Amino acid sequence: MVGTKKKGLFFRYLIAVVLLLIMIFPYIYMVLNSFSDWEQVDKTLFPTDFTLKSYEWLLGGGEAVIPRPWLQAFFNSFLVSASSTLLMMVSAVLVAYALAKIPFRGRDTINNLILFQMFFPAIILLIPTFLVIQKIGMYDSYWGMILPKAMSLWAVFMYTNFFKAIPETFIEAAKLDGANERQILFKVVLPMSKSITTVIFLFLFMERWTELLWDMLVVKSDSMLTLNVLLSQMFGPYGGYPGPMYAASVLLTLPIIILFLIFAKKFQEGMQFSLK
Amino acid sequence: MNTKQGRLGWLFTSPYLIYAVVFFLIPLVWSLFLSMTDWNLISPTFSFVGITNYTEAFQSPGVKAAFFVTFKFLAVFIPLVVASSVIVALIVKGLPKYKGIFLIGFFLPYLASGVVSSLIVKGLLSYNSPINEFLRNSLGLDIDWLGTPFAALFVVAVIIAWKFTGYYALILTSGFESINKEIYEAAMIDGVSAWQRFWKITFPLLYPALYTVLILSIGVTFGIFTEVYQLTGGGPNFATNTWQMEIFTRAFSNLQAGYASAIAIIASVVTFISIFIIRKIIELWGKRNGWD
Amino acid sequence: MKTKKVVSILFLASLTVTSLAACSTGNKVQNGVVKDGVTTIEFWAAPNPTQQVYWKEVAEEFTKENPEINVNVSPMKESPTSEASIQSAIAGGSAPTMSENINRGFAAQLADSKALVKLDELNGWDKLKESRNMENTMEGWEFSDNHQYVMPIYSSPMLFGWRLDILEEIGVHEAPKTYSEMLDVAKKLKEKYPDKYVWAKDALADPTAWKRWFDFFMLYDAASNGNNFVEGTKFIGDEKAGEKVLGFVDDLRKEDALLTRKAKDPFESGLGIFTDIGPWTISYWKEKFPEMKWNETYTLAAPPVPDDKETSNVNTFADTKGLVVYASATKEQQEAAMKFINWVYSNPENDLKWFEKTNLPPARDDLTTNDTFKVFLDKNPELLPYAAAVPNAIPPMDNSKYNDIQTFIGQHAFNPVVKGEKDPKTAWKDMQEAIEGVLK
Repeated sequence: MVGTKKKGLFFRYLIAVVLLLIMIFPYIYMVLNSFSDWEQVDKTLFPTDFTLKSYEWLLGGGEAVIPRPWLQAFFNSFLVSASSTLLMMVSAVLVAYALAKIPFRGRDTINNLILFQMFFPAIILLIPTFLVIQKIGMYDSYWGMILPKAMSLWAVFMYTNFFKAIPETFIEAAKLDGANERQILFKVVLPMSKSITTVIFLFLFMERWTELLWDMLVVKSDSMLTLNVLLSQMFGPYGGYPGPMYAASVLLTLPIIILFLIFAKKFQEGMQFSLK
Repeated sequence: MNTKQGRLGWLFTSPYLIYAVVFFLIPLVWSLFLSMTDWNLISPTFSFVGITNYTEAFQSPGVKAAFFVTFKFLAVFIPLVVASSVIVALIVKGLPKYKGIFLIGFFLPYLASGVVSSLIVKGLLSYNSPINEFLRNSLGLDIDWLGTPFAALFVVAVIIAWKFTGYYALILTSGFESINKEIYEAAMIDGVSAWQRFWKITFPLLYPALYTVLILSIGVTFGIFTEVYQLTGGGPNFATNTWQMEIFTRAFSNLQAGYASAIAIIASVVTFISIFIIRKIIELWGKRNGWD
Repeated sequence: MKTKKVVSILFLASLTVTSLAACSTGNKVQNGVVKDGVTTIEFWAAPNPTQQVYWKEVAEEFTKENPEINVNVSPMKESPTSEASIQSAIAGGSAPTMSENINRGFAAQLADSKALVKLDELNGWDKLKESRNMENTMEGWEFSDNHQYVMPIYSSPMLFGWRLDILEEIGVHEAPKTYSEMLDVAKKLKEKYPDKYVWAKDALADPTAWKRWFDFFMLYDAASNGNNFVEGTKFIGDEKAGEKVLGFVDDLRKEDALLTRKAKDPFESGLGIFTDIGPWTISYWKEKFPEMKWNETYTLAAPPVPDDKETSNVNTFADTKGLVVYASATKEQQEAAMKFINWVYSNPENDLKWFEKTNLPPARDDLTTNDTFKVFLDKNPELLPYAAAVPNAIPPMDNSKYNDIQTFIGQHAFNPVVKGEKDPKTAWKDMQEAIEGVLK
């Protein structure tokens, strides 16, 4: 009886591991190809000859090719994603706190407007948002990439629901101690929201990091491109150089994976928590 | 409700209000205005054309395609992603230890940029890739993955399903955890088969989590862009031409800003109504069976 | 009190971001700023890597001699095409001063929207035409309003490459010249190598407008003696020639000689033995496929023609692109730009350098007669077929609706025929209807 149970358990783990390997195979394939000899790129599932040529080519250029500003793009991606995410977090906390804990006239209207906008398909706004950015002189600037993505309705929604669930008694108690709204927010409410903050932060950052459409439209200077946009441009004229494209993909994917793994434990706790 | 609190409320929500005016209300009005002009995005002049853009859009093959393609994606992508995430969730649930590590592992695809996954898929599916060589030489199968309408749609759906499976599995796992173990034990004693157990007990209890997954994945379907843009450009023959793709090509490749605005408005009306109806259907389905 | 603090938090947050953003934008060159008497002009080079190298070098030399003008070269984006990225930059109010890589149709479209400077109204235009020896060439580039908007840099006839080594293996010693010769090759190839194809190229089934230059128009220009296709708002396509081209492609498909799948290096690996080759491919091969050798592994030939046509002096498509100056640039920039152009093209050595770097034949009247170029051509015999084909090369249409028109050629005619979804006659008819619809 115990034997069969053990066996069953072994098979369960085996299936889980195999499935996991299949799921992350594309990443493995990407990394292997980025180090693979150019002859073997996309020719075999598991390359055998390895070289750093793709990375050298990517960062240093080839015989007839000027290298593209990959490191600058890396910096741009980081700057834009970090600023955007920071603004989204700050604004979401403020708005959500007001919606959840400060009773004021017009609150329901704002709440409804947020819900309406949340379910409103964003595509309709693509062209006019582009024009707004152009009119206020932010075309081809970091602000042009950051500001339209400085507010996440999803984050507001998540925080509002979370704050609503915080019992009034905590807040009342703090008020009796003479705390003002700001102190309540920072000393009472936020410390209670660590796990959900991790979840929201990671989702926002990941989403911002992999944004393509908007960043592609609003920026034209070489020195402003984000990694994702620069990589997407390699599909055209550099189509003949798949090795370096895999190297660039590693450059794009690795940081976000590392960031995620650093917060993985907190993230998972937060997910379990926020989904209940 | 005193005035001080009122002021504070407005102050705290002011970031949103400013944002809503600049990036929602103004663009919305602007869009309606543009949709009635023939402006080409760069010309200093334009003229009003009334509803011509709309009538033209209704006859355009690209718009018709976008309408149906979205529903095709719904029909392919949603069963795919729900099935795969349920399977992953079930497998992880059966593990007594290291659940967290596996969940994290399965979540990793979510971090992939659509550009990267498209690049990898392009490589894996090229005519002389190892996979296609194998299919051709050993099985005699020669599939034009990105050149036949259904295959191309399917490939895009698989890429997106790959990305979201781990995320949805995470949601479903917490759904599983809220299921009362005693019900299972009772069912075990009654000798109910595993299959029946899943459909009669697990599934209904899972419904709230599943509802979340369904709503999220529907939202994803209506926003498909990057993978299509990188892999098929909307082709072959509009088979993967989503709303976003159509609007992007019209506005920024063909420079028909006015016309594209009209399409965008049609798209948002269609999306709004579709999502509303689908949600109602899912909710009704849940209520009928008494799942929620 | 509270309000103050909240505001200060908000302020602090935005300040961090601003300072972050500011310190990295600090060294960004501002558009059109004249600083210390130095005018900065922004030049967008084609995405083609060799062209970027060329312009960087030339710009540096120019600034050395003319320190009052700073030429800032950067490659244009391709999202999704270089045309689209120029358009969105114009729409964003941030076009460069000048750019290369502009084809006639696109120039017509931009000129319609008043986005281009009339070059003939700038100081130094006439001098430029004379010193570069391109007066004849420029006549063909006059727009319908009798102005010049583009200065053509190169004019490159497109040729078809054949894998000579594989042709030899199937007992063919010379590149086929007519449709039936080519169909014959297809049969022989399929007999010996059922896994190989004559033409393996994924773009054959892709409706993107510019892709038609490198398949349909090469064949069509050859079959129709360079018919103009559209003139003003009229479709004047040669129906007979068009149907022959489509019929020929259809025949190749029936022989299973076309492969429209995306494959890795189809021609270089010998999966296909026939494909369109531009001079830029030859420089790409030098870096990546040194084993591709002219007259050993490959040869270059004019497009195949219908059986009843002459096989000498066959017309083909000319890929020709040029320089424009954008109307959004300041007066100083426009003048500086003209000065730069004049400096570059008054010296034939710069055209030679261009030719050497990019392999693209400069668009001048004296290409075959000027000794500067002769030496180079003698050293690079694989470019001789291109130089020889210059007189037979037909530039792309200069219609401002070229994008729609060429998309329709693909969508309604060429792509479906390649895939066997339509017969040539219906395909031509559907295409004509669609084109006439958009020309109205």
